[in-house]
Amino acid sequence: MTSISHHPGVGLRLPHLAEMVVTRPTAGWLEVHPENFLANPHAAELLTELSAHYPISLHTVGISVGSATGIDCLHLKRIRDFADRINPILVSGHLAWSAYKNEYINDLLPLPYTEEALRIVSAHVNQVQDGLGRPYLIENPASYLGFQSSTMRETDFLSELVQRTACQLLCDVSNVVVSAHNMDFDPYQYIDDFPAGAVREVHLGGYTPEADEATPSAELWIDTHAAPIAEPSWDLYVYALRRFGPRPTLIEWDNQLPSLPALMNEAAYANKIALEVGHAFAR
Amino acid sequence: MPSLAELQQQFREAVITGEVQRAAPAALIGGHEPSKRLAVHARNYETSLVEALLVKFPATGWLIGTPFLREAARRFVHEHPPQGPCIAEYGAAFSNFLSNLLRARLPYIRDFSELEWHVGQVAIAVNSPSVDAGEFSTIDAARLPDITLILQPGLRYLDSEWPVDDLLKLYLTETVLDRFELTRARAWIEVRGARGEFHLNRLDRGEFTFRKSISHGRSIGDAAEHALDVNSKFDPGQALAGLIAAGLITAINRGQSKEED
Repeated sequence: MTSISHHPGVGLRLPHLAEMVVTRPTAGWLEVHPENFLANPHAAELLTELSAHYPISLHTVGISVGSATGIDCLHLKRIRDFADRINPILVSGHLAWSAYKNEYINDLLPLPYTEEALRIVSAHVNQVQDGLGRPYLIENPASYLGFQSSTMRETDFLSELVQRTACQLLCDVSNVVVSAHNMDFDPYQYIDDFPAGAVREVHLGGYTPEADEATPSAELWIDTHAAPIAEPSWDLYVYALRRFGPRPTLIEWDNQLPSLPALMNEAAYANKIALEVGHAFAR
Repeated sequence: MPSLAELQQQFREAVITGEVQRAAPAALIGGHEPSKRLAVHARNYETSLVEALLVKFPATGWLIGTPFLREAARRFVHEHPPQGPCIAEYGAAFSNFLSNLLRARLPYIRDFSELEWHVGQVAIAVNSPSVDAGEFSTIDAARLPDITLILQPGLRYLDSEWPVDDLLKLYLTETVLDRFELTRARAWIEVRGARGEFHLNRLDRGEFTFRKSISHGRSIGDAAEHALDVNSKFDPGQALAGLIAAGLITAINRGQSKEED
């Protein structure tokens, strides 16, 4: 299926895949990490089957547009081939880096917001969009660290990236909440400054508070995707919808997975909120 | 101010080694002691990869104990970072790593964990349509030795000094024994699977050598010679018929062999 629904979608993880194929619950759309399917032909086969019934979005975790040592062209080619097979409605990735030379660091690592980083990320986003033959959406990160060397705010960096590459953006509202808490900024101001015209998708995910080793008696919020979506995220979601207008919204849950119906309930709740805000997502 | 590449090299060192205080880049922001927040990324790196290995090697955990496996996996991820972003492909070298740790106490640990790795790989494969005997009837018999074959993707071959397939079956059947002693005995094991299922087949040495050679891209004639080297009674015609009957051949390549061994 090639058209996206404004009814919220859910992140589809491998433990739910077979159940999804068998039960085919109502869902606006599905999003997967293609890296989980490239080396798993059986899972790819099942996803191909699902793609006849649901719009599918690809959310890459391994392209690493922020790597100073370049991006993996072979991996990009594999993503392209997979995208050609699935025919996704959207393809997205992160404003982050995860590869250094030929080593893959299995996490999304932060970037300084400098002209040098902007030049490198812009070049890689152009390379990715050319390689994929599709627009590429860039997601704002969940941050625990920043850099004194940064010369611009994250929202300025993203605005300039959009200008230079014509890429689109994925606004992870929960990441804004997490980053705002950890890095001490106003999440609502962040949404105000976010380049709204480029937003094509919104994410919501759960986070987990823990003791902040860096600051006595303070909490650090970790973007675990291992919990229900918290109240501050729902509140900011309402605010973001009012600013961005209706946008395809995805519920992300990666760890300590709930049952598939429970996941669908989170999506239904997002839909209820969107309707209350006044956007006719359910049409 | 360090370049982005220099900064990322420092990050890489801190996250992969886990020594965040020693290797943390200067001039970070975040809390009173920002370098301590780098531990979040180091933990994400270690935990995600250790958990991925534990999921891939449950039988090995049964054999050596999950705490020991977890500690071995923890050391492995720091010494052998992934070379690509598909974590399903990560862990092929773990068997050798375990063997270096445990060879003296469990001489079969490498083969056992390698067998488990193969099982995991074939179980996610997808079968292709197989070639039937009729397609071979169109081939000139004189040319048959030069032909190479493509086999099903869910096939692996393990030549072990130990009957590790028997041990794996104990795990799979949840057999509880007061005592079990594994006696050294060579086993030629074919692992076949697709779409979540797998089978372990014992082969004789000639048939094993023939099938493994074919799977590595050797021609039928070359594979048969290899098989005859290890078993003078090997019957190439019967072996080829066996491959066809088992539905293991997916394509006939009439060009040159790849000679991948």
